[in-house]
Amino acid sequence: MSGADWLSYSLQDFVMFGPQVFLRLFVRINQDLWPWQVLAVVVAIGIPVLLFRPRQEARRLAVGLMAVAWAASGYGFLVGYFGPIYWPAAWFGWAFVAQGGLLAAAMFFGGVHGYRLPSDRFVVLWLIAVCGLPWWAVAESGQWQAVALFGVAPGTTAAAGALVVALMTGPWRWFYLPVTVLWSLFSAAIFWVLQTWWLLVTPLAALLLLGAGFWLSPRPEQNLD
Amino acid sequence: MTDWFSRRQFLISAGLAGLALTSPLLFANASKAPSSSPIMRRIPGTDESIPAIGMGTWITFNVGGDEQLVAQRTEVLKTFFELGGTVVDGTPMYGSAADVMGEALDALDAHDRIFAATKIWTGDESETRQEAARSSRRWGIDRFDLLQVHNLLGWQGHLETLKQMKAEGKVRYIGITTSHGRRHREFARIMEREPLDFVQLTYNVLDREVEDRLLPLAEERGIGVIVNRPFRGGSLFRRFQSEPLPDWAGEAGVGNWAEFFLKYIISHPAVTCAIPATSKVGHMKENMGALYGKLPDADLRQRMVDYVRSL
Repeated sequence: MSGADWLSYSLQDFVMFGPQVFLRLFVRINQDLWPWQVLAVVVAIGIPVLLFRPRQEARRLAVGLMAVAWAASGYGFLVGYFGPIYWPAAWFGWAFVAQGGLLAAAMFFGGVHGYRLPSDRFVVLWLIAVCGLPWWAVAESGQWQAVALFGVAPGTTAAAGALVVALMTGPWRWFYLPVTVLWSLFSAAIFWVLQTWWLLVTPLAALLLLGAGFWLSPRPEQNLD
Repeated sequence: MTDWFSRRQFLISAGLAGLALTSPLLFANASKAPSSSPIMRRIPGTDESIPAIGMGTWITFNVGGDEQLVAQRTEVLKTFFELGGTVVDGTPMYGSAADVMGEALDALDAHDRIFAATKIWTGDESETRQEAARSSRRWGIDRFDLLQVHNLLGWQGHLETLKQMKAEGKVRYIGITTSHGRRHREFARIMEREPLDFVQLTYNVLDREVEDRLLPLAEERGIGVIVNRPFRGGSLFRRFQSEPLPDWAGEAGVGNWAEFFLKYIISHPAVTCAIPATSKVGHMKENMGALYGKLPDADLRQRMVDYVRSL
């Protein structure tokens, strides 16, 4: 196709499903997973508790749980539910799995620093992400079963996960950026086309939390050890 | 001896029977029993006719493994058949839409009621037969009635193979598609040279460029015309649905906006069939209303254009 042909396409031409079908994905995965979401909620609340324990192993466990959350939401929601109606979503699903792998590698190979974080600000932002963002899907769909939980829904997982850059050392954090940024832009474009305005809050929040993650990154003199 | 009927029961029954005989539609579901014959269009160069309103599957049938939505879309397809539709157009690129169509056809046991059309959409010109076979499997049908090269992608190679497949009886009709007004010059050149049965293009009360060249050319060359995006992807409803229909809508056989948009299209003499897509049973009933009743003449068609422009 020529350049002029490509220019004749709009964003809408690349989104081949409707809002009803998309919002039903949240309802369906929650129905199929029940009652394992309870575990996802416990993990989401437990992560900041582990992060601010004095022992370095607790912080590593928290990062490991985040890695599992990335992989679970990518493989579960994006590959398993979203991919069959929209193949680019399946690609993002595998990128989420890779992101989880990257976090796991960072945990084992020195990608997670030992510096002290400003716990109050981190915890507040984390709780806003994992407790506040899930309800925008409910607001959009009108069904509480559509709640978009951390570790299940990719948007909430990516938004809360964006804060993790605060825990990562120099080069690792740059490897960590692309999936978060690309997913935020991709999902925002989809929500724009579907005119699901409430859902736009989540990718916008992810980008803001990414900035907050850099802002929360500690100075070297704050070393935990 | 037992009294089978009292006098009152006899009189009531006789009255109801008489009423039923004189007014058969009184006891029928009005939506399933249109008062006139469907508007049929002959496929040029053949003795075969198809209903002038068909059905697209763009976006609407791509519901993945959602059993609730598959069942709901099956109801949409059932309504389409009940109201006289046969032509269903799909494409392999709408995610799960082809699989959902196959499930719906299985559920309705309707494989022999459908005029099945789909598209070949791959840049690999050696993949024509394989893509057609994959689509057949997904729809659960032996062969398609119509295969179309989508958006002219790799059209030379695909069209040659489609001609061979038609000669072998593996497809009944062949064609090409475009949408959104793309590549009309090249499209016209292909129409002039190639033995096409159908073309598919975008046409609606606002997008009328095809009236200048492509529709007259189709008539001249004896090519059937399938019209996609009759509602401009739904934007015509968003723009005009809050507006009143014109006073003279009844003269054009129009009772709602869906009929207004669709009857404008199918009243063009070159058009064989329009393929609106919907995910709702109620909207399908409105769309299929355009398959019945009067059609606007040339004067009314111009008034339809003028009216929409004035809003």
